[in-house]
Amino acid sequence: MARFFEERFSPSNSQAAVAVTTVVAIVAAMALASPLFIAVGADPLAGYWALLREAFATTRGFGFSLVRAAPLTLIALGTIVSWRAGFGYLGFEGCFVLGATAAAWLGLHASAGLATGPLSLVVFLPFALLLSFAVGGAWASLVGVVRARFGGNEVLISLMTNYIAIFLVQYLVSGPMRAPGGLPESARLPRETWLPFIIPGTRAHAGVLIALVACGLVWTLLRKTAVGYEMIVAGLNPAAARYGGIEVGRRLILAAFLGGGLGAIAGLVELLGVQHRLVEGMSGGVGFTGVVVALLARLNPVAVLPTAIVFGGMTVGADAMQRSVGVPSSIAFVLQGLIVLFVLAGELLRRYQIVFFPLRSRARRKAIV
Amino acid sequence: MAKLVEMRGIVKRFPGVRANDGVDFDLAAGEIHALLGENGAGKSTLMQILYGFHQPEEGEILIDGAPVVIVSPRAAIAHGVGMIHQEFMLVRPFTVAENVILGLPGERGGWLDLARAAKAIRALSARHGLAVDPAARIEHLPIGVQQRVEILKLLYRRARVLILDEPTAVLTPQETVGLFAVLRSLAAEGKAIVIVTHKLREVMDVSDRVTVMRAGRVEASMATTATQETELARLMVGRDVALRAKKAVREPGPVVLRIIDVRARDDAGYEKLRGVSLDLRAGEIVGVAGVDGNGQSQLAEATMNLRPVESGRIELRGVDVTRATPAEHRAMGLAYLPADRRGVGSIVEMTVADNALLGSQRRFTWGRRIFRDESAICAHAARVVSRFSVRTPSLDFAAGKLSGGNLQKLTLGRELARDPAALVVEQPTRGLDVGAIETVWAELLAERAAGKAILLISAELDEIFNLADRIAVMFEGRILSVLPAGKATAETIGMLMAGRAARRTEECETLG
Amino acid sequence: MNGGMIDSAFFVTWLTGAVRLSGPVLLASVGEIFGERSGVLNVGIEGSILLGALASYLACYETRLVWAGFAAAILVGLFIGLFLALLYVTARASQVVVGIVFNVFAVGLASFLYQASLGAAASPEIVPMLEPLRLPWLSSLPLVGRIFFNHPPVLYLTFALVAVAHVVLFRSRFGLSIRAVGENPKAADAAGVPVERMRYVGVMLSCMTGALAGAYIVLAQVGMFRDTIVSGQGFIALSIVIFGRWSPWKAAAAALAFGAADALQLSLQLFNSGIPPQLLLSLPYVVTILAISGLFGSKARQPAALMIPYVRN
Repeated sequence: MARFFEERFSPSNSQAAVAVTTVVAIVAAMALASPLFIAVGADPLAGYWALLREAFATTRGFGFSLVRAAPLTLIALGTIVSWRAGFGYLGFEGCFVLGATAAAWLGLHASAGLATGPLSLVVFLPFALLLSFAVGGAWASLVGVVRARFGGNEVLISLMTNYIAIFLVQYLVSGPMRAPGGLPESARLPRETWLPFIIPGTRAHAGVLIALVACGLVWTLLRKTAVGYEMIVAGLNPAAARYGGIEVGRRLILAAFLGGGLGAIAGLVELLGVQHRLVEGMSGGVGFTGVVVALLARLNPVAVLPTAIVFGGMTVGADAMQRSVGVPSSIAFVLQGLIVLFVLAGELLRRYQIVFFPLRSRARRKAIV
Repeated sequence: MAKLVEMRGIVKRFPGVRANDGVDFDLAAGEIHALLGENGAGKSTLMQILYGFHQPEEGEILIDGAPVVIVSPRAAIAHGVGMIHQEFMLVRPFTVAENVILGLPGERGGWLDLARAAKAIRALSARHGLAVDPAARIEHLPIGVQQRVEILKLLYRRARVLILDEPTAVLTPQETVGLFAVLRSLAAEGKAIVIVTHKLREVMDVSDRVTVMRAGRVEASMATTATQETELARLMVGRDVALRAKKAVREPGPVVLRIIDVRARDDAGYEKLRGVSLDLRAGEIVGVAGVDGNGQSQLAEATMNLRPVESGRIELRGVDVTRATPAEHRAMGLAYLPADRRGVGSIVEMTVADNALLGSQRRFTWGRRIFRDESAICAHAARVVSRFSVRTPSLDFAAGKLSGGNLQKLTLGRELARDPAALVVEQPTRGLDVGAIETVWAELLAERAAGKAILLISAELDEIFNLADRIAVMFEGRILSVLPAGKATAETIGMLMAGRAARRTEECETLG
Repeated sequence: MNGGMIDSAFFVTWLTGAVRLSGPVLLASVGEIFGERSGVLNVGIEGSILLGALASYLACYETRLVWAGFAAAILVGLFIGLFLALLYVTARASQVVVGIVFNVFAVGLASFLYQASLGAAASPEIVPMLEPLRLPWLSSLPLVGRIFFNHPPVLYLTFALVAVAHVVLFRSRFGLSIRAVGENPKAADAAGVPVERMRYVGVMLSCMTGALAGAYIVLAQVGMFRDTIVSGQGFIALSIVIFGRWSPWKAAAAALAFGAADALQLSLQLFNSGIPPQLLLSLPYVVTILAISGLFGSKARQPAALMIPYVRN
């Protein structure tokens, strides 16, 4: 009487086991990448040391690691919220740029509309956060509705919405929102909208704090609220969820809204913390690397920030590694890829199958004896 | 006449059960042989062994007198044995011809020759009265015609033995007549046909011989003309029903749940409930007996609106709840324990505490019903666990790791903790060991004593006889009869389960 | 606004551009059609295109032979396909997760291998490229000649491949089997079709045509390799497969539609019209989304078992 029993991707594993597998994966990846060093005549250990030291042991380097980690964290949180509710959303690139656009628009027009004196960050930031979140959330909810009401494949649809969002921003940045000067970018945002630096001597900005707060909020949502419970159940077992009185469709749309909102905040953070103007190509693929960070963290909100710092730090340390031992900096990407592959392989080996909730309910077969 | 197929001493074990316990079965060319039994009898397993899905642990199979080992369905086909499952193996967007030739080596190298296939199909169709258009797409064909395509697939592959698993489950009466005519035609040509069934109509109308199986053994095997329905029914369900539970006689109270002429379809769109009516009173257990697949699951789901009711009504304590959400049902006092306890009744990846919470997640909250009240949740879970003796190392233990019995106690306890007025339980003790069964039975009887109304849907006659005050038998989406437990015998119930109404000489009430 | 500038020259330029741009993504989509028809969504096709582009560049750089580049791409595609199929089909890992992770990994690997092989060269070197091939009579046709028959030979080969793919998919045993696997793997298995093997073949075809598409970009369009040479063509190929209803000729039409939108925005920029080019660029995506959203009846005729791993019960 075989029962087809699937274990879905859930972070109910012991924390210790997760940490151990991650460390083993990192070490294995480093070992496997060593031949690449040697092939170009570089010493792997010296290289790794240079990378780690630059990314985490120097103040300035660590600051850069944090800067990288902030948007990654937010996208990873968005992934967690949506994927764990059973919504396989991949449109974070789009949410990112739309969130940045919303914040840029507000920043450029805010001082004009204010009746009471000059703009201040304390006033501006909450509104910017709200607007960005709402825009990104609404954008992702469209896909959520298509999935919940019409059964469309959210993976494919969300991949394509990325393009539409990117084209929209391209248009804005070459037209209505373009700064005089001819380049496809907006005017620079007023200083009052810039996120302040939080660690002296580094370029780590308050966006890191926003990411930290978001981690806490997502954790609270999933672990401490009834709605979070319902979302998780809907993602793990929609049939049981419906049986338990949960309105699966509504939870799905909510997950879409929250995931998209978080993705948008990632864009806001990058805009107000680093770029200070809306540019084409701001996202640089973070919509996908953020997803990878979430996977590395096993979709656990607590593990996201450290994972993002490690991941982001590797990109930061790569240049230092290149300077120190002469190996091309892109080896950091190879390392990142290997780490993720090993972590996932470890998960598979422990007999967890990462399977998305299929689009149609599958009839559970009972062997008729 | 030499036997075409002989199976001798077949033994097959699955974890916890001997599905086939020394079974002998034989088949002659040109005969239609019915394999009769209820759930768990072992008939499907036996045929799956013949078809190569499983390997027997002991015993041998002979075809044309020579021993064979059938390692896979492909090997079975090579030996001329074909099987048609309850779930058709057809590719819906493909045409009939494409489905028939799928997987076969072609005549023209790698290229399809649909024209030639169509011609062959038409010839086979004409010969056996299997009217089918080779160019029609499966998705546009009614289910009866799809079954013909399945038969054609086997004939095209020159099968000599055709095994049909519950073939009339999805057919209309007219389609059934048509199918039987085809089967007779095939048998006349020398094919051997096995019909795996629980329906007496199929046995009596079309079979030459019948073998009755029960609990993994062959009870009897004889020519159909040499037996009658009553004997077959008795053999099928057995005479002795061990009465273990003591229950006091109770006067049932007012009606709590009314199911009025309900019609509903299953996921594939076929009508599974064809006008079911039933009244459930406080303090009584109504047992719904019947072989799996006659609409019981759909009935259970419909009571909680987990399956839309197409026509008819469901009333709970006088209130029309036909379109109410599951949450509303719960709030109004209906509890439901589904048969699929791992797939629907619980979330195996979550903890015991979180499972105990399912259905009540809005109740144990604070802050305007937003935040989880962890201490209340734990207390609730602890109450459930202790009251129902769920053996678990902790409340944080993964529910999926609990034994079947403990998981069932947990889900039952969760539902009962809400103090429902009516309880719908489906196959509550399937797969449980004796101790767990006793516990669950005791709980249900206790709820009955406390004045709850219980609808017990079960394929186990033991369970029905032990617990039910009244017994309703479902067959093909209808309730054939409702009998007081005192008046029901294994024989009468067996007949009803197999589709034959009780004889006139016995007293019975029939509802709906 | 320029009323008089939209004339036949505009159309010719535009349509020629459409055909030219559609080549690589169409090529990638042909293999992906087989992959998806067998039930596997290969998000990693983006990475395959990138690595194929790199392989073809390096091979051509070393040998100065264009066809060596294409051969290298095929080999690379074969290996990537085997690797991904192992994860998609045998390990039954989530197809989306594997695809995304592979893409990220491929970006790093390509960048690293390029830098390692050629050093941090200041200006990347151009390799021999394929020239437009003039076909004897066809290229001289008045309008049609310039639009359709003045392209590198790979474009004609791509369209030939489309024709072959169509015939194989719908008229051969292999095609029937692979379609069955993607619709109802249980039925296919019961009929004796080797489900896992079919899916392996599908994935490998997808990666091979993907890698070839990368070679196409390098050796027939750009002439050199950059980190950013592949940025979304893989996802466009996925969109083309859907828009083209998993059918080779319809995919060709879809590819031309995407190419037309792309070329139109370039042409319109030249002519300074008021229409935002991005609007046109988004149009194919919007249409594709509407097609698979389920808003209009039968939610696309997508292979019923797409993205669902198969386990014999």
